[in-house]
Amino acid sequence: MEILDLTLDKTLQEKLKKYRLRISEYELMKNLLKREPRSIEWALFSALWSEHCSYKSSKIHLKKFAWKHPRVLTAEGENAGVVDLGENERIAFKMESHNHPSFIEPFHGAATGVGGILRDIFTMGARPIAIADYLCFGEAEAPRMKTLMKRVVKGISYYGNCVGVPTVTGATYAMPEYNQNILVNAFALGLFENNRKVTVSSAQGIGNLVVYVGAKTGSDGVHGASMASEAFTEDMESKRPTVQIGDPFYEKLLIEACLEILDQDLVVAMQDMGAAGLTSSSFEMASKGKVGLRLQLDQVPLRDSRLGPEEILLSESQERMLLVCEPSKLEAIQKVFAHWGLESTPIGQVVAGREIELLWKNEILTKIDPDLLVENAPMYQRPYSKLKIKNEIQYPGKKPTSDSKKWIYRQYDQRVGLRTMQEAGHPVALVRLESGRALSIALGCRPWLMKQDPVVGAYDTIFEPSIKMVCSGAWPVAITDCLNFGNPENPEIMSEFVASVEAIAHSARLWDAPVISGNVSFYNETEGQSIPSTPATGVVGLKQKNSFPVHDYFVKENLKVVTISLDEPQNFDPEKIVKSAKTLFELIEKGRVSSARLITEKGLQHTLDMMSIQNFKCNITFEVNFKSLYNVVLAFESQFENEIKNTFPDHFIVQGQTVPSSVPFDLSAKIIQFSKTWGVS
Amino acid sequence: MKIGVVRFPGTNCDRDVYKWLQDQGHQPQFYWHEDLFSSQEVEALVLPGGFSFGDYLRSGAVAARSPIMNSVKEVANQGKPVLGICNGFQILCEAGLLPGALIPNSGGEFIDDWAELKSPSTKQLIQLPIAHGDGRYFIHEEDRKKLWDQNQVWWQYTQMLNGSVDQIAGVTNLSGNVRGLMPHPERAYQDWMGGIDGWKFWI
Repeated sequence: MEILDLTLDKTLQEKLKKYRLRISEYELMKNLLKREPRSIEWALFSALWSEHCSYKSSKIHLKKFAWKHPRVLTAEGENAGVVDLGENERIAFKMESHNHPSFIEPFHGAATGVGGILRDIFTMGARPIAIADYLCFGEAEAPRMKTLMKRVVKGISYYGNCVGVPTVTGATYAMPEYNQNILVNAFALGLFENNRKVTVSSAQGIGNLVVYVGAKTGSDGVHGASMASEAFTEDMESKRPTVQIGDPFYEKLLIEACLEILDQDLVVAMQDMGAAGLTSSSFEMASKGKVGLRLQLDQVPLRDSRLGPEEILLSESQERMLLVCEPSKLEAIQKVFAHWGLESTPIGQVVAGREIELLWKNEILTKIDPDLLVENAPMYQRPYSKLKIKNEIQYPGKKPTSDSKKWIYRQYDQRVGLRTMQEAGHPVALVRLESGRALSIALGCRPWLMKQDPVVGAYDTIFEPSIKMVCSGAWPVAITDCLNFGNPENPEIMSEFVASVEAIAHSARLWDAPVISGNVSFYNETEGQSIPSTPATGVVGLKQKNSFPVHDYFVKENLKVVTISLDEPQNFDPEKIVKSAKTLFELIEKGRVSSARLITEKGLQHTLDMMSIQNFKCNITFEVNFKSLYNVVLAFESQFENEIKNTFPDHFIVQGQTVPSSVPFDLSAKIIQFSKTWGVS
Repeated sequence: MKIGVVRFPGTNCDRDVYKWLQDQGHQPQFYWHEDLFSSQEVEALVLPGGFSFGDYLRSGAVAARSPIMNSVKEVANQGKPVLGICNGFQILCEAGLLPGALIPNSGGEFIDDWAELKSPSTKQLIQLPIAHGDGRYFIHEEDRKKLWDQNQVWWQYTQMLNGSVDQIAGVTNLSGNVRGLMPHPERAYQDWMGGIDGWKFWI
């Protein structure tokens, strides 16, 4: 925090505090306006210049993700990137944090996290077909933690189940470092069905109408964006009113109504009202379209008639969208919304010029160029230093994760929509497409690894889910990220942030899977105590139709069982690892492998147990202290043994064979071959 | 067969049921909760799962009182097959077309899993997915006896999952044409779904 200049007059100091702006930002505001800001303008700048909306600490680094890839369709700045998978199938996906609200009010915080990310997807014209969640909790003994875990899961379950989108996978970690700051990141993926075109968010066409659709505006979530850009202090109770309340039933209707008007081609542009509500949606639509807007704020449908213009502008009430349409299409739009029992209200027009005019009962509150707020937001080059790979990875002695996640995913509807081929109990989810191909979805980031080595940890956020995916017969096609960090003004944290962005950007190129969307969440700290840097990722891969079956468990007897390593012990070489992964993928594609599974931090024995769920097991079992990160159990027909051995000559450790579950373990079995650098316990 | 699929605001298994019926060679047709239709238009009806009217008040309670239910009753009274799945089952119970009621699971949590089911009459065992928060079948003691005497218990869970009376997963009306169950047959009719017991499950 910047220390306030005591010589400033008291009202200015109070304003800066209320609107969470710095004195330097106030000066910039004045320079841009060439005058003192009016009261409503304070609110606008506060929202749009919040870290949450402006990415002011991260923007210059996020440019490293920019990459013109032939598979990616959307321009930068849209809600999420679109990936063209060929065969007339296109998908959009994104991941977003809802950490602060979920710590304050876990049920509604987590629920609205899901609701918000779904709107990011269907606002583009894609029907959401899968949800996934990345969760970090503290120790179960920490204050409130059992309740937080229970209520977060219940919130996700409540929203996702009701809205009818399956929750297919996730990742959950528990570490004391998250006692004061839990992480709740929601991922959603949508499919453009019926050849629906990708909807844009830039307002177009002078004279077109600005239409408000969905739920009425209430006072919930006012100042939510700037709240989410601040560290917690002991005064948490007072922030509860900044948390939004969601209604998944309403969202379900909104999805159907929005997709229907898009199918009927009634819409010029559409944008969901997320963080900073009407302010950010309208300003971004105008800024992108390079047009002006005239908005009658008194026309906004209200849940509480006492709300004034500032609250209306900043409310983060859920399940609302803003769209632009030609005047002749309004009636048809209203008919569709009425069918679904929803309101749709014109609240303004697209006008010539480049200014947004905000009116309240015929009085002009402000007339302002949206680019002043959107394009001229402050950008900070926070101090950082360059980090290097340490190569001192140790698997944690204590398990960083709870034993089974079943209590979590059992509460999620995993099959609605008839696409789920492989659900949350598996290393990756498989979601079926109409072409018969399948999307593979996995979330990454192992916080215990980030803590040991932030560079390796950041590579691992892509490598771990991607290698799991390879084991399922899929190769990554695109990536989203949700970068959860502490205070960016702390150079150590900023260094980890920059290293993470670089590692993810590099990984994306190595795997040929571009980063198509993302989100940054800073200030995950309480009373000076920051979370471990947690750049969570969502990796989506593609599994071809009629590919040879490969399973994550043993499917028959008399198969050879080995473990191989894709990396060298204590020598993290990203290029080499991807090359090994590619070699493994080719073996799987050729049908040489019956079962494959990445060994997790829970160890070899646990992985072998997980592979023995369907009547067959490996005849030998023991633990290995791996010093390499990516070790895979393979099972294959003996005729392929030489080919696989020749492909991974130095990497065989265990060699056993599959037997029916009822056969006792062969305790006399020897390890055939293992590299001297691996320890056997 | 021409089969109507009834949609309420909040129904979310409608498209799945449509596909399930279509893939089995039927001609499904959607109906919206505000519409009345002639019972002559359909040979059978399905009320799919979801959260009709957000499950506010009680699961299925609001939907059971919407205009289309008059048409649903007409079809049922003509002896044509009517199937309620999950929320559809709850609606049929709330509408009085099936006996009993569905209340929150005994564990208080939503359950998503595969469940083994047994037919009390044929002893057939099948596996179907379940996904419900209010799936605990309840019926008063005197009606429970009647249910068994009149062979109205359609499916039972082979394990206690949600606190249902007699582990009941599905029931029929007295004449057997109206049926409801909590598990989802439409989610298990192709190998890649993990099971095929939902294929030709009903008609």
